[in-house]
Amino acid sequence: MRKKIKKTGLLISFLILFLSSATWLLASGNLLIKNATILTVTGGVIPRGDVLVINGLIEQVGQNLTAPADVRIIDAAGKYLMPGIIDTHTHIALSGTNEGTDAVTPEVNMAEVINADDTSILTALSGGVTMVHTMHGSANVIGGTNVVLKLKWGQPSEQLVVKEAYPTLKFALGENVKQSNWPLLPGRPQRYPATRLGANALIRSELIKAKDYMAAWDRYEQLKKSENPPADLLPPRKDLRLETLAGLLRGQLIARCHAYVATEMIEFLNLSKEFGFKIGAFEHAWEAYKIADELKAAGVGISVFADSWAYKMEAAEGIAYNAAYCTKKGILVSINSDSGERIRRLFNEAGKTVKYGLTQDEALRLITINAAKQLGVDHLVGSIEAGKQADLALFSRHPMSAYTRCEMTIIEGEVYFDREALLKERAAASAKKGGLS
Amino acid sequence: MNKHLKKISPAFSRPVILVFLFMVMVIPLASSGRAGSQAVKPAYALVNCRIFPVAQPVIKKGTIVVRDGLIEAVGPTASIQIPDDAEIIEASGLTAYPGLISAHTNLFFETKEQAQPATPEDYLAAYSQPAEPKEFPWLQIIEKLKPKKQTVEAYHRTGVTTVVVAPNEGIFQGQSVVLNLNGDQINEMVLLQPWALNINFTTERGVYPSSPMGTLAFLRQKFYDTQHYSLHLQKYLQSPLFLKRPVYDPFLEALLPFVIDKKPIVFECHNLEEIKRALKLIKEFQLNAVLSGCNEAWRVSEDLKSAANIPLLVTLDFRPPTSSHYAQEGQTAKEKAEKEIYPANASHLFQEKINFSLTSFGLNESNFIKNLRLAIQVGLPADQALRSLTIEPARTLGLEKQLGSLEPGKIANLILTRGDLFDEKAQVVKVMVDGTLFTYEEKGQ
Repeated sequence: MRKKIKKTGLLISFLILFLSSATWLLASGNLLIKNATILTVTGGVIPRGDVLVINGLIEQVGQNLTAPADVRIIDAAGKYLMPGIIDTHTHIALSGTNEGTDAVTPEVNMAEVINADDTSILTALSGGVTMVHTMHGSANVIGGTNVVLKLKWGQPSEQLVVKEAYPTLKFALGENVKQSNWPLLPGRPQRYPATRLGANALIRSELIKAKDYMAAWDRYEQLKKSENPPADLLPPRKDLRLETLAGLLRGQLIARCHAYVATEMIEFLNLSKEFGFKIGAFEHAWEAYKIADELKAAGVGISVFADSWAYKMEAAEGIAYNAAYCTKKGILVSINSDSGERIRRLFNEAGKTVKYGLTQDEALRLITINAAKQLGVDHLVGSIEAGKQADLALFSRHPMSAYTRCEMTIIEGEVYFDREALLKERAAASAKKGGLS
Repeated sequence: MNKHLKKISPAFSRPVILVFLFMVMVIPLASSGRAGSQAVKPAYALVNCRIFPVAQPVIKKGTIVVRDGLIEAVGPTASIQIPDDAEIIEASGLTAYPGLISAHTNLFFETKEQAQPATPEDYLAAYSQPAEPKEFPWLQIIEKLKPKKQTVEAYHRTGVTTVVVAPNEGIFQGQSVVLNLNGDQINEMVLLQPWALNINFTTERGVYPSSPMGTLAFLRQKFYDTQHYSLHLQKYLQSPLFLKRPVYDPFLEALLPFVIDKKPIVFECHNLEEIKRALKLIKEFQLNAVLSGCNEAWRVSEDLKSAANIPLLVTLDFRPPTSSHYAQEGQTAKEKAEKEIYPANASHLFQEKINFSLTSFGLNESNFIKNLRLAIQVGLPADQALRSLTIEPARTLGLEKQLGSLEPGKIANLILTRGDLFDEKAQVVKVMVDGTLFTYEEKGQ
């Protein structure tokens, strides 16, 4: 085990050494990728196709394309080019996950604690991932606001943020927020809520508070504008917790709700109708297959694991057919990693759904265009189309094959991962030092 | 005092005044003798030394006259008249510098031994205790300090004569003090009390906020609350009729001078992201702030350039923060970064024309001087290093009229070294703080 860790550590350090050496990182955003099997996702498959990238955008997709002078040409004969993979639920590149001391913490914002130095970014790049929805954890009924990042390793944190993506607020239900899998320590009180009923009631009472808060500010603004505002007029206290919830009620934020069982998802759908807020997707949603019609009617998507269910009581009725079945039912489904390690093999995870009834093409959508739609960036990324940002992943075989591996990862026309160059650099470093040090 | 005397009835006034004057004049003289150092003499003349006045060019052979704890004259030997009453200190072969200032330390804390849980039951009992927040915006760290002569001597030997002592617990840590290392009597050491409120982007344990993003929300909420509290107080004081008074809040009361009256706030920034977070808060709440720590400052030089008015107290602690990718690459890479990459922070800042002070924050005295030399080895010009430990921190503290250079009128804080201060073999042999002379044995002569 220790050896394994050491090996991974070495690999990562070489990856970093290599990526930071920057000699190969042509900061141009111009590329011509030739002769690849292009999996466009939205426009079918182009055999022996070319993609021309100019200034980080896909200029042309077709065959026998030519590049202007000075544009780097990548010969991808025999390889498969797909849109960069998008992970809709992860916690990488952050310096915190949960503000676990309170069940309600919408005032915290993950965009403020981005850590662009997190080496999980490299791990993700090595698996063709170019974009992540990196989130507050599931310890709280109402967590924090999340952020969408592009994995531009080496760039300052603010350059990673995808401003066009939906602003989202994390909710969580079930065992994590009940803390039912935590040891109860003598002398320490159990945190409210300890039941699903409590979680539901807590959300309702917080949203009512937010409504009161909005009304108080409205009253204040009106009085301030009136002809003779009272001399003692004092604005209400600015409450960051309620400000965020007011944002949700005004439609400026979209809920992303961690939920496993059917009943709690139905309850959350009811809350969204009662208070008129939008739900982006249910996270994990193991029992979504039981309420596919309701989800379809509400237009709410799901972001799920491919398999690996039953790891706790509330996941007991999860089924590996969930993603495939819900896709067939017309629900917008994405596959997520929720992990800094599984993130490098999300294509394998998506590939598993082929066994449960999806076509390769449908499976591919789970980690590309569907994910982009869930994050509100499908006009920018998620497929290989002229005009979209050139976030691309090159694979040795079809990405849904069990034998494939990622060869190159490109964001906005810039190569952030190149397996061949990495191996060469590693061999050179090894030879120079006379072995690994 | 005069007002006071007028009230005394004429019959008693003369003898009382005489006794009083006698006490006023004699007692300080009697108590000025300090153990372990020479008593304050009215005047000293340090002669025949090389002088780095900092504010002016180097004087190859000069004299410094000190009277009553202040510098009376500095200049080349020929130009300075040595007063008759001055005790002459022969300093040929020695070099004089202004005393160094470390504008962020955690010196002199009274440490209490905490019993470690021995048995699993003890551990469980300790762990089960409800956690208490460690927020002390009102804390005056001066009240917690017990200066020790050994520490003073250890710092003198590195050339440091002035320190900022800052609290080090919690997010709102409390208020720092500026001390002259002239002995071990805390009140005599004070130059500025309080100086600044220290804020650290750390987290609480077991209570809110327990995460970096929670800490940011907590800071913002407190700043907003202070603004609201101040507004409410203002309105209430203007027209107390028909407005209920604000509920007294000691936390916000402590923040008022800093958030509203813009006294200095020091943000401890332990990595590049914390620098950016601090800059954002400073802009949002228009704070009068100083950044400390900042050993990754070179990585955000552009951000710092666009916030040029914010002083930097850059630590010579070269350990990569755990968030840094240098610290995630394994032990070898981490050590390499500590030896080669982080030491170049100051020289990068210098090249980018960003002003900064250097501090010993997070370091003991021997690592401080070792790392200072390393920073110079990897590119920081020695004269810039000297400025960063003298006039720059003096400016940041608002004490540039009293400290930071050898000029007439300034406080007599100076050091005499054998060899160049930043040379490995250099030794500090004499230190003067507030005119009190300390002489140290030379090692290995």
